[in-house]
Amino acid sequence: MTQVNVFVKTASDRWLAWAIAAASVALFLLFGMSAYREIDLSIYTSLPEAFKSLIGISDTIDAGGLAVNVMFSTWGALMLAGVALAMGSSAIAGEERDGTMDILLANPKSRTYVLLSKTGALVLSVAVATVALWIPVHPIAALLGVEIAGLDVEALMLHLFANSLFFGMLALALGAITGNKGTATGATTAILVLSFFGVGFLPLIDGGQTISKVLPWYYFDGSDPVNNGVAWGHLAVLISGSVLLLVAATVGFNRRDLKGQSVGTTILDRVRGNPLLNRMIGQLAGSARVSSIWVKTVYDYQVLLLITAAVMFLVQGVMMGPMYASIPDETLATFDQFPEQLLALFGGGDMSTPEGWYSLETFGLMAPGAVILVTVVMGAGALAGEESRRTMGLLLACPISRSRIVLEKIVPMVLFAFLVGFATFAGVSIGSLVADLGMSVGNIAATATLQSLIGFVFGSLALALSAATGRVSIAIYGSIGAALFFHLFNSLGALNAALADLSWLTPFSYYLGNDPLNNGMDWNGAAVLAALSVILIGLSFVLFEQRDIRQRG
Amino acid sequence: MSTESGSQTGAVRAAIHTVGLTKYYGKQLGIEDVDLDVQEGEVFGFLGPNGAGKSTTIRTILDEIRPTSGSATILGMDTRADSVEIRKHIGYIPGDLALYPSLTGMDTLQYFGNMRGGVDWSYVDELVERLDSDLSRKVGDLSTGNRQKVGVIQAFMHRPELLIMDEPTAGLDPLMQREFQKMVGEVSAEGRTVFLSSHTLSEVQRVADRVGIIRNGRLITVESVADLRSKSMRQVEFVLDSPADAAVFQSVEGVRNVIVEGNHIEMSFGGDMGELLTTATEQYGVADIKTDEADLEEIFLTYYHEDDEAEEDRS
Repeated sequence: MTQVNVFVKTASDRWLAWAIAAASVALFLLFGMSAYREIDLSIYTSLPEAFKSLIGISDTIDAGGLAVNVMFSTWGALMLAGVALAMGSSAIAGEERDGTMDILLANPKSRTYVLLSKTGALVLSVAVATVALWIPVHPIAALLGVEIAGLDVEALMLHLFANSLFFGMLALALGAITGNKGTATGATTAILVLSFFGVGFLPLIDGGQTISKVLPWYYFDGSDPVNNGVAWGHLAVLISGSVLLLVAATVGFNRRDLKGQSVGTTILDRVRGNPLLNRMIGQLAGSARVSSIWVKTVYDYQVLLLITAAVMFLVQGVMMGPMYASIPDETLATFDQFPEQLLALFGGGDMSTPEGWYSLETFGLMAPGAVILVTVVMGAGALAGEESRRTMGLLLACPISRSRIVLEKIVPMVLFAFLVGFATFAGVSIGSLVADLGMSVGNIAATATLQSLIGFVFGSLALALSAATGRVSIAIYGSIGAALFFHLFNSLGALNAALADLSWLTPFSYYLGNDPLNNGMDWNGAAVLAALSVILIGLSFVLFEQRDIRQRG
Repeated sequence: MSTESGSQTGAVRAAIHTVGLTKYYGKQLGIEDVDLDVQEGEVFGFLGPNGAGKSTTIRTILDEIRPTSGSATILGMDTRADSVEIRKHIGYIPGDLALYPSLTGMDTLQYFGNMRGGVDWSYVDELVERLDSDLSRKVGDLSTGNRQKVGVIQAFMHRPELLIMDEPTAGLDPLMQREFQKMVGEVSAEGRTVFLSSHTLSEVQRVADRVGIIRNGRLITVESVADLRSKSMRQVEFVLDSPADAAVFQSVEGVRNVIVEGNHIEMSFGGDMGELLTTATEQYGVADIKTDEADLEEIFLTYYHEDDEAEEDRS
């Protein structure tokens, strides 16, 4: 008979997420290697020396090396760290929020036992996922006839394991110390994203390399393990960091009061407690908030919007201008010598111009990523969220039709997609102004509009999946998976003739395909993206109308 | 004039009417062939153990889930075609109530009130006072019982013609349960209809006019509470002069659930009392006798017990 305990349950709770992450990376690898196989790799060997060393390309670069590097150092590492983060923040704080920690600790088990079980499950899950990522590498390379004998794939995997574990433990520790899942997830995600971009960007400026050593991601990727083998010192930093986090988590978790199935107190709540301010704030936070489904939805996701919009505005918008201005001219000059196909791979654009810089740094990955994150979370939560929280029954006892509910959930999603786009537009415009880059405001607006539309497409996909299944996880994983796949398809299409012919299939080709930052609005692209969204939304109405409402999450 | 035009001739309209209502979840049975008639103005108790199909029936007539076959009307309207119109006239408390944890009780009532185009707030205040509910706290911070009060107020606040409540008193303390029962009585006195499910018989017994008993997805019986009581089911206890033999009493018609402890014997009885007394006095001699009116609990057990036996016979 199977022994189900805290360890086993925690390890098995998230198996689907791990399986999807591992399977997607394997699929991407297959896809990537077959694409790189067709590329004339001389474009890489002709790169300026300084840059080759910077991005870890040796003169003996081959398709295998590139594919492995891109898949694991970027996508694989981010996905694995992301799932570890989700698992870590759920471990302690998640159980408290769900109200299950009380019953767990009513058993004769100490807090330390629960914490260690959860940690053990995290370590095991990350290890299994890493092995699952590693297993297909050699068979796929052999299948495609790609030579990867010169690469230390195993060293990279070891670094990948330690890196994911570190971020998982960071989230677990923050959750254990604060008991607040939102704090754990938010803070760890911020550190993950900043450190990923910091390690990519900082080396471009003077002294940046040294500064980047404070970022955890540096110890994953900084030593280029796939070419240079295991950097034991770096590995030790990540592992000992994880151990320190475990110690901090144990101390923190044992010292504090357990949180009940509570919703926490916001600053707004405290202000509402003051009778003088209550009436005014009550209007703002209460009456207005619950005036209709769509307004309530806007309030429900305001934090997500604020964070995303702030990051896009400040970090990806305003700050990128002065950053660009701070890159030494000689570094920029090297970009000038880049072959066009290679730049296309990085998201298109000529880095020696500010438009190219913003295309790559802001609009290439982060801008669609941010807007898709917001729309997918809202689309998935729209219907399936009410069902998993079991509030849909009450909503449907009110005299409003199912279509009306769908409609009122779409309005905030569209609004937020455009607000994220607007924040990006404002940030980039100000960044250009501050650094005196002289970019066209009209073109920035056009690009940001297309950004909103690409978010709308995947948000609508999440809504359709949510309407069809009533399951939040299927809607989120399904649409994020589709977005990653199509983004990769699009990037590789720039390099591979066979894929390029099929690039009309990916929504991303209608987003930056016509280089709107230089060429202005791509009306055809906008029309395609809008039409795609409308079709998916139409489908959502039909699917939701026909289905039984789920009673359980 | 035919009886089908009864609603036009002023005959009592059914508040809830189902015909052969059947719901399968894939291959798993939810409910089968449920024919229900709940009259306007009555309090109807829907009884059954956990998993019997109470919530499935309620969720089907509310158009949350769709019947595999059969149909239903509420207040004369088709539950599928007119579902939005129907919902203007009903109040609902789902079983295992869930609300939005980050909203206060007041926010919650305003939210649902707004969706109904506004409610009479003086009546809400009255309900809040009667149930001693604190609306200023976030629902997520409330205890189960206090959360349930918000759910009850939410269902009553717009004075619906029909209240559909799935285990509405879950988590309420006895004082509040009594207040709730009073509220149900008042609704009924105003000519409005109440349909409430429960697995607690005593609760239904106090408020309901009629009771439907559901088990394993099938409606076993519908009877008035008065009829059920008058089934002359009694709990009978004898203290005899000598040790009793259960078989002697079991041979008397109407005797069930016999428990013997030496000279002491207990049974449920629904037959000719004279015959029972004769058996007891002639065979053993009676030192003491005590009888109680059976409550629904025992009647309920009797029905189920028979059903169990029937199933065992089939297998």
